[in-house]
Amino acid sequence: MKSFYVLLFPLLLIFQTGFGQAKNSLPDSTLKTTPPPSTHQLKEVVIKDKRLQLRQKEESLNVITIGSDFIQRNLSGSLMKTLERLPGIKTIGIGSGQSKPLIRGLGFNRVVVIDKGVKHEGQQWGADHGLEIDQFAAAEVELIKGAASFIYGSDAIGGVIDVKPANAPQKNTLGGSIDLIGKSNNNLYGSSVNVFGRKEDWFFDSRITYQNYGDYSVPTDTVFVYDYAVRLHNRNLRNTAGQETGLHLNTGYVKEGFRSVFYLSNIYSKSGFFANAHGLEPRRVNTEMHDASARDVQMPNQQVNHFKLINRSNYQAKGHKLEMELGYQRNFRQEFSQYVNHGYMPPVYPDYLSISPELEREFDKRVYSMNLRDMINVGNHQLTTGFNSEYQDNAINGWTFLVPSFKQASAGVFVYDKYKINEQVLLHGALRYDYGQIRMFKYTDWFDSELTAGETIISEKLIRANDLNRSFNSLVWSAGINYNVHNFLLKANIGKSFRMPIAKELGANGVNYHYFSYEKGDATLSPEQSYQLDLSLGWNEDRWSVLISPFYNYFPNYIYLNPTANHDFYYGAGNQIFQYAQSKVLRYGGEFQLKYKVTENLSTELLGEYLFAKQVSGDKKGYTLPFSPPASALANLTWSPESESFFKHSYFSIDYRITAKQNNIVPPEKKTPGYGLINIQAGIKFGLCRQQLTLSLQAQNLLNTKYLNHTSFYRLIELPEAGRNIIMSLKVPFNIPLNKQKKEINNELSNKYN
Amino acid sequence: MKKLSLLSLCLALMLVLSNCSKDNTEPIDTIYPEINTATSDAFPKQCSVVKRGEKFIFKALLSDNVQLGSLNLDIHHNFDHHTHSTELEECNLAQVKQPVKPFLLIKNITIPSGQKTYQASAEIQIPADIDPGDYHFMIRLTDKEGWQTIKGLSIKIE
Repeated sequence: MKSFYVLLFPLLLIFQTGFGQAKNSLPDSTLKTTPPPSTHQLKEVVIKDKRLQLRQKEESLNVITIGSDFIQRNLSGSLMKTLERLPGIKTIGIGSGQSKPLIRGLGFNRVVVIDKGVKHEGQQWGADHGLEIDQFAAAEVELIKGAASFIYGSDAIGGVIDVKPANAPQKNTLGGSIDLIGKSNNNLYGSSVNVFGRKEDWFFDSRITYQNYGDYSVPTDTVFVYDYAVRLHNRNLRNTAGQETGLHLNTGYVKEGFRSVFYLSNIYSKSGFFANAHGLEPRRVNTEMHDASARDVQMPNQQVNHFKLINRSNYQAKGHKLEMELGYQRNFRQEFSQYVNHGYMPPVYPDYLSISPELEREFDKRVYSMNLRDMINVGNHQLTTGFNSEYQDNAINGWTFLVPSFKQASAGVFVYDKYKINEQVLLHGALRYDYGQIRMFKYTDWFDSELTAGETIISEKLIRANDLNRSFNSLVWSAGINYNVHNFLLKANIGKSFRMPIAKELGANGVNYHYFSYEKGDATLSPEQSYQLDLSLGWNEDRWSVLISPFYNYFPNYIYLNPTANHDFYYGAGNQIFQYAQSKVLRYGGEFQLKYKVTENLSTELLGEYLFAKQVSGDKKGYTLPFSPPASALANLTWSPESESFFKHSYFSIDYRITAKQNNIVPPEKKTPGYGLINIQAGIKFGLCRQQLTLSLQAQNLLNTKYLNHTSFYRLIELPEAGRNIIMSLKVPFNIPLNKQKKEINNELSNKYN
Repeated sequence: MKKLSLLSLCLALMLVLSNCSKDNTEPIDTIYPEINTATSDAFPKQCSVVKRGEKFIFKALLSDNVQLGSLNLDIHHNFDHHTHSTELEECNLAQVKQPVKPFLLIKNITIPSGQKTYQASAEIQIPADIDPGDYHFMIRLTDKEGWQTIKGLSIKIE
């Protein structure tokens, strides 16, 4: 009930402001990207479409671009979850919506997320928290499936997710929008308010987002955490509630030939972990305390704050296009949990320690980045040279230990040539050199452990990590071709990518409280390398189009966490040791996409994806890689009525996704049965007080199917995915006409309506 | 025509690509090892009681379809009722209490390599000066491939 009022309140506000300015406001609210008269709007859309088509035809890598429309239609718990509808994209989620992206089965530090031109740096290696990105602030997302290290540097082995902010507003505008969102599954309510304005060359664009959700519900009464039966209250997953806020302010100067924009943002989230499955073993918890409210966040929980300040500038002169990005980020993540001694930790938390007994873990990351690029056209060559550099300072805190504190610096230079042979053939070639250095710092336990030295037992504080200094360098390349004739499209790309081992892979030495495992790094790991061949074949007709994108990928030294047969009998309290190791890995697969327009109003789409991965050397020879998504297909039917009718810009769409079983597993995974899911999306745009409102409705998992997701963070404890979820969102744009503009617009309006 | 031949060429290429790595190796092992505490001589069992200052013999029958890995025993207190066993049977727990000197044992038991079944047995000495009360007896067994089975028993030390 409370949430209802919370939703109602901003609604009232909006309508008031709406009515107040009804007289002067514009008929179309998409002013931000398009000029006022709606006749122009259509034209703009076409241009945008062409731009994307062109990008598709001139990029030899596999690129998908989606706009805010797609996000609005498929809005899920997080941006990554929203993108999951796309073929080849999956996520590793923690149920409540937060998730990490997987591109063709590769995720964590093998996918680069670019936000406003700068590489987003959080704790990418962790599956238990989402990406600190506000999906309401994303105007466009570009996905690159495949090896893109040559331009984005280390980590871009699996692909790149480039999140782009909204363009600068038109001159002499002042306006904004209010988004309201509600979800039935976890009783989420939220709102995102945007206000932007521009006089001549200066503009600002600000946004506040707030979301609050309760425990999410699953279609089951009992969950089996390993063998222990956990009864759920009201089918709610105990302690998975949370809150999120996002603050954004972009401001800058835009002029012909020169542009400089500052982006300031702060994303904060607090969310709980499923209380029965956190720690060294499945836990009995105080159900009375936890079940008293579905909205409170008790321990164990996590808080993440991500602050960003970015400047993006570009300058064009004498055939050169110079671009620069400067960024500062601070990612501050804390995990809170009651003290549970394990191994030789004292049974009662000592009061002489300065660390709070509730602070299980803390990661404090500060990142400074700089990118420089110069683009120049020489004849039929488009030459891009660039430089990327990054410096990281990582500190740790808390009463447990997993990864030591470290400092890391990296820099790379690249040259990329796009050579247009003729109207049909484009050639691509790129070369890149990177150098990186990582310095990790010694960590000693705060408690004594018992060690047996021969016959005697001695007590001493164990050293969990030693000082370590390593440097890496790498030379990567890429070559590609685009061939476009009439309706036919062919792309091929072959390239080498690399990834510097991360601090966790080099220096982990502690318990993973989610997986009941003891993780150990290897200080001698070499940089991971990958060779990938990508192919895309497409055919476009007026009424139908088809696209097939297979790939083939080989890693001579893939870094993975190998579950060994051994146990740790000190700090790990007898938990199984998972040891970072390297092995040869072979992967192949692809995506398939077919679109067919049955009638003017009815269209259908068929998407499919398949992935195969196999380790061909090492301890797990013959096994796959962890988190390998099973094959899946999605069939869609979309009905969009005549553009003349009242229901113009409305749609009704149904998705049926069928996912195959996954029997190709590696310890400690479990075989996952296949399942089918139905999702429905519907939406309408309608005018109210001369504003064009967008109302979107979704039903995810319509039939409340109980299923397990192979790539879910909670898969190992047999936790089913979220049940039926009805999502409603409303976008209400508004414009505040400037004095100068009023007359003009009023004239235009009267012309239009007369 | 040219387009068509190009298309077929590409399709052929794809076919080659998707086939070139299907070497037929033996199927991978996906079966977990087993800990059997149901046999008559297995000890401890769920709700077993052992005494301070005395020894007891741990016994369990271990098996795997390919090869056993390693066995780890862990005894830790359950004075706060924080954990639970993997067994269906519930044991009577004493009142929640603060630990003073709880018993802690983390012990590795070597399994000879190359075994499919193994009768594990180990002598465990319980010191006389530790806190009596509810304890957990965790048995963790891996196989060579890294599959792990955990058995958590509730025991009492008197």
